[in-house]
Amino acid sequence: MRRIVLLLSVLCSFTASPVCAADPAPTFERDIQPILTRAGCNSGPCHGKARGQNGFQLSLLAFDHDFDYNAIVTEARGRRIFPANSTFSLLLRKASGLTPHGGGKKIHEGDAAYRTLERWIAAGCPRTPADAPHLLKVTVSPDNSVMVFKATQQLTVTAHYSDGTKRDVTALSQFSSSESVYAAVDANGLVKAGPIPGEATIMARFAEKFAVCPVLIPLPTPVPPAVYEALPRANFIDGHVWAKLQKLNLTPSESANDATFHRRAFLDVIGRLPTPDEVRAFLAEKNPKKRERLIEALLQRPEYGDFWANKWTDLLRPNAYHVGIKATYNLDQWLRQSFRKNQPYDQFVRELIAAKGSTFTNGAVVMYRDRREPGELTTLVSQLFLGVRLDCAKCHHHPFEVWGQDDFYSFAAFFGRIGRKGTGISAPISGSEETIYLGDGTGGKRNGSTVKHPLTGKEMTPTPLLGQPLDIPPERDPRDVLADWVTAPENPFFAKVIVNRVWADLMGRGIVDPVDDIRATNPASNPALLDALAADFRKNKYDLKSLIKTITASHAYGLATTPNDRNAADLRNYSRHYRQRLRAEVLLDMVSDVTGVPERFEAMPPGSRAMEVWTARAQSVFLDSFGRPDPNADPPCERTPDTTVVQALHLMNAPNLYRKVTDDAGRCATLAKSAKTPAEIVDELYLLAYGRMPTDTESTAAVKRFEKPSASRRAATEDLMWALINTPEFVFND
Amino acid sequence: MPTNTNCAGVTRRDSIQIGLGTLLGGGLLTALRARGFAAEAMHKPTAKAKSCILIWMDGGPTHFETFDPKPDSPEEYRGEFKAIPTALPGVFFSEHMTRLAKSLNKYAMIRSIRHEQGNHGAGNHYMMTGAPPRIPVGCGAFVSFHPSMGSVVAAEKGAPAGLPAYFSMPTMSRSGGPNFLGAKYAPFVVGEDPNSPSFKVRDVAIPQGLTGERFEDRTHVRSEVDNLKRIMDKAAGDPALALDEHYKQAYDLMNSKEAQAAFDISREPLKLREQYVRNGFGQRLLLARRLVEAGVPFVTVYDGGWDHHADLFGSLRKRLPEWDQSVATLIADLENRGTLSETLVIALGEFGRTPKISTLSGQAKAGRDHWANAMSVLFAGGGTPGGTVVGATDRNGFAAIERVLSPENFVSTVYTKLGIDPDKILYNQQGRPAHLVSEPTPIKELM
Repeated sequence: MRRIVLLLSVLCSFTASPVCAADPAPTFERDIQPILTRAGCNSGPCHGKARGQNGFQLSLLAFDHDFDYNAIVTEARGRRIFPANSTFSLLLRKASGLTPHGGGKKIHEGDAAYRTLERWIAAGCPRTPADAPHLLKVTVSPDNSVMVFKATQQLTVTAHYSDGTKRDVTALSQFSSSESVYAAVDANGLVKAGPIPGEATIMARFAEKFAVCPVLIPLPTPVPPAVYEALPRANFIDGHVWAKLQKLNLTPSESANDATFHRRAFLDVIGRLPTPDEVRAFLAEKNPKKRERLIEALLQRPEYGDFWANKWTDLLRPNAYHVGIKATYNLDQWLRQSFRKNQPYDQFVRELIAAKGSTFTNGAVVMYRDRREPGELTTLVSQLFLGVRLDCAKCHHHPFEVWGQDDFYSFAAFFGRIGRKGTGISAPISGSEETIYLGDGTGGKRNGSTVKHPLTGKEMTPTPLLGQPLDIPPERDPRDVLADWVTAPENPFFAKVIVNRVWADLMGRGIVDPVDDIRATNPASNPALLDALAADFRKNKYDLKSLIKTITASHAYGLATTPNDRNAADLRNYSRHYRQRLRAEVLLDMVSDVTGVPERFEAMPPGSRAMEVWTARAQSVFLDSFGRPDPNADPPCERTPDTTVVQALHLMNAPNLYRKVTDDAGRCATLAKSAKTPAEIVDELYLLAYGRMPTDTESTAAVKRFEKPSASRRAATEDLMWALINTPEFVFND
Repeated sequence: MPTNTNCAGVTRRDSIQIGLGTLLGGGLLTALRARGFAAEAMHKPTAKAKSCILIWMDGGPTHFETFDPKPDSPEEYRGEFKAIPTALPGVFFSEHMTRLAKSLNKYAMIRSIRHEQGNHGAGNHYMMTGAPPRIPVGCGAFVSFHPSMGSVVAAEKGAPAGLPAYFSMPTMSRSGGPNFLGAKYAPFVVGEDPNSPSFKVRDVAIPQGLTGERFEDRTHVRSEVDNLKRIMDKAAGDPALALDEHYKQAYDLMNSKEAQAAFDISREPLKLREQYVRNGFGQRLLLARRLVEAGVPFVTVYDGGWDHHADLFGSLRKRLPEWDQSVATLIADLENRGTLSETLVIALGEFGRTPKISTLSGQAKAGRDHWANAMSVLFAGGGTPGGTVVGATDRNGFAAIERVLSPENFVSTVYTKLGIDPDKILYNQQGRPAHLVSEPTPIKELM
């Protein structure tokens, strides 16, 4: 030690650093690890990855102090550190690029971080004493900001320690923006507003803590308050939407016309097109409340159950190769049944979480056949029903999140005692029955076992998120207790997640987006609206149909997609409706309905609709082209809403579509043979495909094609139908 | 450090915005370029190869009866086939690989790739993506935890004139999907048989029964009825504009003489078609050659039925001579056309087969079972030095013992040759970073 002190004084005299004598020596946890984190040394792509990088491994984002200290100071025979002359330390030379470094130059010779590292090495690489003040929180200032276009704003990050001291750690913090189109942030915490109105959340991270600064960039020209006061308010939703628009100086688009609303409502609520007669009747209806009456009627239709269950099969449908055909089918039917009878959502979730019994008799238990490890179930259940992503916390403290490994494994403990009897997964067949029940936790498949913390080996007690460990009597199934907690009215996540999902389905984008990722660093675009929807949902006893009614009854739902001169750039605040490409199953059923030729599916009775297909193993080039999710991928691939060139080619040229258009028993043949005039045929086709009457220009142009000397009625009908199917007005819900 | 190298939804949203904006602007190629910027690869390896033809021998081809015979081992290991000399002194192939044996000076053979995934689902995944499956999966499984080589290449390289960048014929291979890269990079499957006189690539030509004139007419009708108002302000991100762009590309593709010519296998001289062998497999190889010449960067020719638990020798006696001829012809044809140097040709399956010949219960004829401890991989073109044999197995073919290589080494080689950095960081849908290949070291003997 004396030698180090001596060396230190020698070093001081050479470098003549003015801080050297005054400042206490830097210590590892407090000063060094934040530098490594800031420079990205311990990030996933670099030395933080599971096997390290080129033989040097750090714990991911510095969650394991002892490990990192050992890796730097003693590993590799201590060659990374050279206290006798700290500038010769490999740690410094590599990081500053003086010795070739695969990761490039991360700090610069002579800058603050460099000097801190140098002083730390020279001081003998001290650890931060265990009783040293610890980091309580970080704050960022300003903590929110309203900026004008292209303005800049410097953020300051302050670390607060347990002894009351504060420290400016801006230079040691990392910054990122949730929406850099609206407001970007550079590495030094300088926020730059973009040229379009919107919002972003800037996050600052220091060590294992973060703080956020919401930034609002309104349109520069103000709108008189009277404009907002005059807007219609059909229910509480509109007030919240208009209030948000007012903050940004945006104004809502016009209302969509009746035909557009009608088609939209059919596609959104039951996933199919209206018939020509239904369109005519709605357009002729004089009832001023006809939009609400329509939704009411749609919610009673049998297609409702299949359509909404289809959305849940995206989330829960297992790989049939993994769990077996019968189990896959049972879960599918269970989901459909639940939506057919409009089971209250809290009961639906309770039945899934607390599911017990045989995979052959209770479809709900299949989730526990498919997901067998407490860890997997933790990830799935927290994301699906709570919108909380715990998967990162399985291995490390999530850098943008409050969750750590303790949270993960104490939540996983709810799933420890699952007992399984029968034939487990025996791919590829896996056809047998399995029964799920409460085991005694003594180990093995039949009894289930306790869940242990992977680092400490400590046996974990089931603990709800943000809650206290629970004392569950041995005869009670922890999953029953979990289901109680998840579905309790006090649960801060439960109602929000589902109202946000349904809102996103109907409005084209979630108030929180992605819909299952609720956290401070991914804020809701309209928190008051989300809270109000959740409260209303709870008040209505978790009734999904009533939620759909509420949302669709709002004036905001019925807005046109066409922007006005202020709101084109708005993609998050519902100042206009957002166009959505229709789902694969909906589109295929639309094509079958319009052409009058049903599709045939493997493993399904004749006349089945795409919406009723219960396994992706029923082959369909159409459904695959339009992005039906593949349950064989893990994590199950999200359904893709994009359009692709393959889709365009398929709609234009697929032999199957050609057959449907030209089928002798199909719609075109029937219409051509009928006594209808060309103009009537044109009306019929527009009503079928677009759910509206053709305009005069459209009608004249189409009729002309029937009247060409060379034309045949059949060919003209077919050509028009093909053309209608091959347009965005058909493919999108407008 | 760029802020986007972290675990957050942030990145995903940013990348979506980049994707959408550029799609509206300048089409696929611009989008791909923008992706490149967004990804910020550390360094780009210089590409020798422009494209890759992957011959996927699903089921796990035997290394003994193909490229790694063990003539000196006891009868219960060496099997019924003899070893024959190759163009390389001291290197022997199994007796039915006559043409490939003669032309070994044109390509390389790897005999020492091994892994631990002894069932089809897992082995397929490991060799097709370079990543082992994250959870145990069974033999029948079609799983995807990581993007396949074909999807990665499609995403990184793109293809001209709306051509799909990744073809798979006649089916998709088990783990050949895009995973988190998204459906855009799924393979374009051509199920039809190019050996059939009525062969057409699905959806890229006017349906049979429709005349060109009538199709033209329909296109006019389409423009008459297409009156949905587009939102031209780019900040609005109108998805209808993206669909317009895709229709334009679809028309381009249908009208592209080059693309249509590429699909028209009947333009090949009859003699050459015979040399490729007049069966589905042979003609698919020929079609694959036409596709890569048209600019498609990745074509998988799926070749199933290599899972020879029974009747190994009987069925291979029938199959191998034609297979040998088709593959040897492909390599020779590419060389004659001067395109071998820019085209990778790779043939492999998910694993090798057991050294000891077995007769499973209920089977009359002997076969070999799954064996991931050794396998042979044919690797040609794209600057691969001919006459190279990498690694070796032991005397009885149990294990790779010299230059033991991993699936990671293998896919890294493919990526590096195609100019894609195997150490590149991809972001999944949750914004979580993942290395393209976790151990990104290419096989230096092949570079």
